[in-house]
Parts: sequence; C-alpha cells; structure tokens
Amino acid sequence: MIRRSRLSDAFWSLVALLVAMVFFFPLYWAISNSLRRPVETFTVTGLGMPFVDFTPTLDNWRLQLGTPEAYNALANSTVISFSAVAIALLLGVPAAYALARFRFFTVPNRDLTIWFLSQRVLPPVATAVPFFILFSSFDLLDTRLALTLVSATFVLPFVVVICRQTFYDLPVELEEAALVDGAGHVKAFLWVALPLAAPAIAAAALIMFAFAWNEYLFAVILTIKNAATLPVHIAGGVDTRGVQFWFVAVRSLIAMVPPVLLALIAQRYIVRGLTLGAVKG
Amino acid sequence: MIRWTGRIKFLFLLPAVLWVLSFTVFPLGYSLYLSLHEVERKVVITGREKVPVLKSDGTPVLKADGTPRTRTKVIRELQTSFTWNNFANYLRAFRDEEVREAVRVTVIFTVAAVGIEILLGLGLAWLFNRGLYARGFLRSVMILPIFATPVAVGYLFFTIFYELGGPLSWTGIPWLSDPDWALVSIILVDLWQWTPFCFLVFLAALQGIPDEMIETAQLDTNSQWEIWRYVILPILKPVIVIVLLLRFAEAVKLFDIIATLTKGGPGIATQSYSYLAFNRGFKMNDFGYASALAFLLLVAVMVIVTLFFRRLRTSYE
Repeated sequence: MIRRSRLSDAFWSLVALLVAMVFFFPLYWAISNSLRRPVETFTVTGLGMPFVDFTPTLDNWRLQLGTPEAYNALANSTVISFSAVAIALLLGVPAAYALARFRFFTVPNRDLTIWFLSQRVLPPVATAVPFFILFSSFDLLDTRLALTLVSATFVLPFVVVICRQTFYDLPVELEEAALVDGAGHVKAFLWVALPLAAPAIAAAALIMFAFAWNEYLFAVILTIKNAATLPVHIAGGVDTRGVQFWFVAVRSLIAMVPPVLLALIAQRYIVRGLTLGAVKG
Repeated sequence: MIRWTGRIKFLFLLPAVLWVLSFTVFPLGYSLYLSLHEVERKVVITGREKVPVLKSDGTPVLKADGTPRTRTKVIRELQTSFTWNNFANYLRAFRDEEVREAVRVTVIFTVAAVGIEILLGLGLAWLFNRGLYARGFLRSVMILPIFATPVAVGYLFFTIFYELGGPLSWTGIPWLSDPDWALVSIILVDLWQWTPFCFLVFLAALQGIPDEMIETAQLDTNSQWEIWRYVILPILKPVIVIVLLLRFAEAVKLFDIIATLTKGGPGIATQSYSYLAFNRGFKMNDFGYASALAFLLLVAVMVIVTLFFRRLRTSYE
C-alpha cells in the first residue's frame, strides 16, 4: 500500500462518518420517536436528541409490549422463522452436498444449481394465489403450519446454493480419506464434511432466519390474526386510529431489532450469503 | 480412487427436489391453470338442519312439553368454480390502463434504484477501501439497513417524509403527496436499504484484489481514474453483473415498502406491478386475472434474466 498522509485519512474518515450517519439517521429517528410523548412528536426541535431536546419516556414501549397481540406476533414470527429454517436446512444441506461432490448425468450439476437458483428470481405473487386457494381448501389459512411450509420453500434455494459453495470450498481429500477407511458416503458427510462446514452453515441459517422473519407478502395473504407475524402485526394495527408515530416507531423497532442483530452476528458471512456464494466476503 | 457416483447421491438430493416440485413447481402450474380460467369463489347455502338449542353448560333447552327446543342451522360451503375463458385474463391485461401505469412505475423504479445503488455502492466501496479511522465500526453501521424489516422501513420513512413537521419538511418538497415525488421517495427508501448491500459486496471484491496488482499499475500511471478504468473495473465486472442480477430480481418484486409507505398512491402513482397483481387477487378476489398478471411478470423476468445474464452461469461452475 502507498502510505497516505494522516490528514487525508482524517478527511476521508470524516466523509465516511457523515455517510454512515445518513444511513443511520432513519433508525435513530425511530428510536427518538419511540421515546417521546405523543404530543412531542412534532414539537421537538433540533435533532430530537433524547435528554437534550426532550425528556425520554418508555411509556410507548410499555404500552405496545403490553398488548397480547404483540406477544402473539412475536411468538409466531419466532416459531415460524425457526421451523422454516430448520426444514430448509434439513432438506437443503444434503442437497447442497450432493451438488458439490457427486456428479449427476441426466441433468448436469450446474443446471441443477441454476434450477435452485432460479427460484430466487421467481416473483412471489406468482405462487401467492395458488397457495391461498390450496391452503384455504385444506382449512390451513391463518395457521403457523401454512406459513412455515411457504417460508421453508422461500429460503430453501438460498440454503442449497450457499451451502453448495461452502462444501465446494472444503478440501475433498478429508472425506476421501474417511471413505478409504471404510466409511460410507452418509458417514463421510455427517462426520467429516458437516462439522467443517458448520460455522458457514450456521451463519447462513442466521441470515435465512432474518429473511423468513422479514417476509411480508405471503404472511399477509396466509395469516389473519392467530398466526399473524410481526410484519403483519405492524402493518395492520395502524390504520384504525390514523398513523400514531410513537407506536409505529416502537413496533418498527421491535420487528427490526432481531434480524438486524442476527445480521451483525453473521457479519463475516453476509457478502457470501447475500450473493448466494458467488462473492466471498 | 474414490468414485463420487452411485445411487446414494439421490438420497442426498431428492428430498429437496421433491419439496421444490411440490411447493414451487406445482403451485406455478396451478397458477397457470388459474390464469386461463375465470375463478369464482362464493359461499353457497347447501342445506339446512334442525339443531337443539343448548344452554351454556351444554344441556338442551326444553320446551314446556319436555321436547328440546330447536333452531334451524344454515349449512354454508365455500365453492370455487373455474370456467375456461379463452385467454380473456391475458387479453384484459394488455388493454388495462392500470397495468400500463404499473409497468411504467416498476420500470422507472427498477432502472433508477438499481443503477444509482450500483454507482453509489462503487463510490462508497472506493471510500472505505482506503485507510479510515474506525472503518470496521462504520462498516457495521452501514450493514444495519439491509436486514431491517421492509414493512417497518415503509412506516419508518412515512414518519420521515411526513410533510407537516417531519424531519425533512423544511425542504418544502411534497414527498408523498405529489405523484412524481412519491416515486422519488420510494426510490430513496430503496437506496437507503440496498446501497449498503452493493457497497458491502463491492468492498469485499475490492479487498480481494492483490495490492501488487495496483502497485504494478501505479508504475504506469499516476491517474487514479485510469487505474480504476483499466485495472479495477474489469476485475469487478463479474461481481457487478451478479449484484445487478440480484438487485434486478429483487427490485421488480417491489411490494413491502409500497404497502406501508404509499399504498400505491397518490392515486396509482406508485402502484408497482406486484402491488397491482396483489390487489387484483386479494382485494378484488379476481384470482384468475391476478394469476395472469403474475405469470406475465414471471415470463418478463425470465426473458430479461436469460437474455442479459447468460454470463452468470459461468460463476456457478
């Protein structure tokens, strides 16, 4: 690297700080709004800093978290996202392994991968109508099961494509050594490849969890009340009494915090996860 | 020599394939079937029966003569009928003014948002690729928007674009009440959420370029611009294509933000194609038409992807 002067480093650091602040502002504004009393929504001046421009209160948080609907939605989102990711891993990881290691002849490996990948491009509206009609005829509307099945379908291609790349990057010699020692392919997968790939798979699972958590289109179609997830909950309760900024801020934050935290935990793998393994972070 | 063949490979692969066949391919086929039919769903009264009136503890209410009191219960059933209608749904889609408007909105949104995101992402990656103070921390802050729940993001920006006293009201711009500005606002929200994604990917790719390569180039020229133009951009090109594809696929699905930020308004000025199809299906119960709209979108996306992104296949070798 060519050494640059400290002054220019400081200048560009300042620019980067400003950029980061612009991107952080909407989140900051929600936090600020969530801590104000309703009358203060539009009266607070300046940058709306808690303690500086107004006295913060946790009343909005208390009121919102105290409703049974909020708890129900939180529980639904957690259970549905968790089960969906579990199903997708159970089906997707072995398939990814097969695509990375074995050779398929009738349909070549690459085309199989592209086939899984192409579902990423599929507009969700295209399957929304059939899902609605099918689930309503099985009387499964507004159940956790229906949304779990759909969410698992929605994250499965990610799991397959990302994990395929992970297995592909592992040295094949270790598994071959196990095979020479008399282990079968299933054992080589379970006891050699899987433990090595585990950290990357775990990171992918966190990212998938965030995707399933944020999903709205299928959730709003397939759930009403009992199985409503957080995105449906926050999108629903607002119209009745107009937009109440303070509650909207609290609800938005409640919905956002889990996926954002997961993303921070899985930071090292985000690039790989979001580009489906095509770019290594 | 180990042979990576044998029946066992199907045990690994087939469960996932069967799942996709039943939960993606089958619904798609069903959607195609629906799109060719007039779908009517109605609740029909199929019969009546006498049932005893029960008290709250489950025992029947008795009449004076000792027989149980009864009431008539109406048996309702949801019936769905499909009538072949000679491609009427598709023909209707081509004549529908609202569809044309939604296509316009979606195309403008996709081109503007994805284009600007890639350029901004490149710029930011360039900025973060130099020695910065607290670079790791700032990078982490930039990650936050990517995973923010889109529906919540819509509401968040509703409070930010609020024209009476919101934090951007000093600009005097009618952020959400003017048809053109409302579309600009939607694009801004998408920029906020997805520029960080482009930035992260490009930064990762930039950091993958060996220093010696840049140093060698610096022997030939002093111009930063030329190094970018002739060394860095060609290396980044495959990555840019991938980001372009992923963002394109995501942008044409635009739905969540619209649903909470503008609800397609004012009028239909920000009604995206997905939002229109959703409304036709689930607000107006026009399932056949909605399926036809969804299918047209699917075909359009597939055509564009195969035409422009054939190269992508090579990166999954």
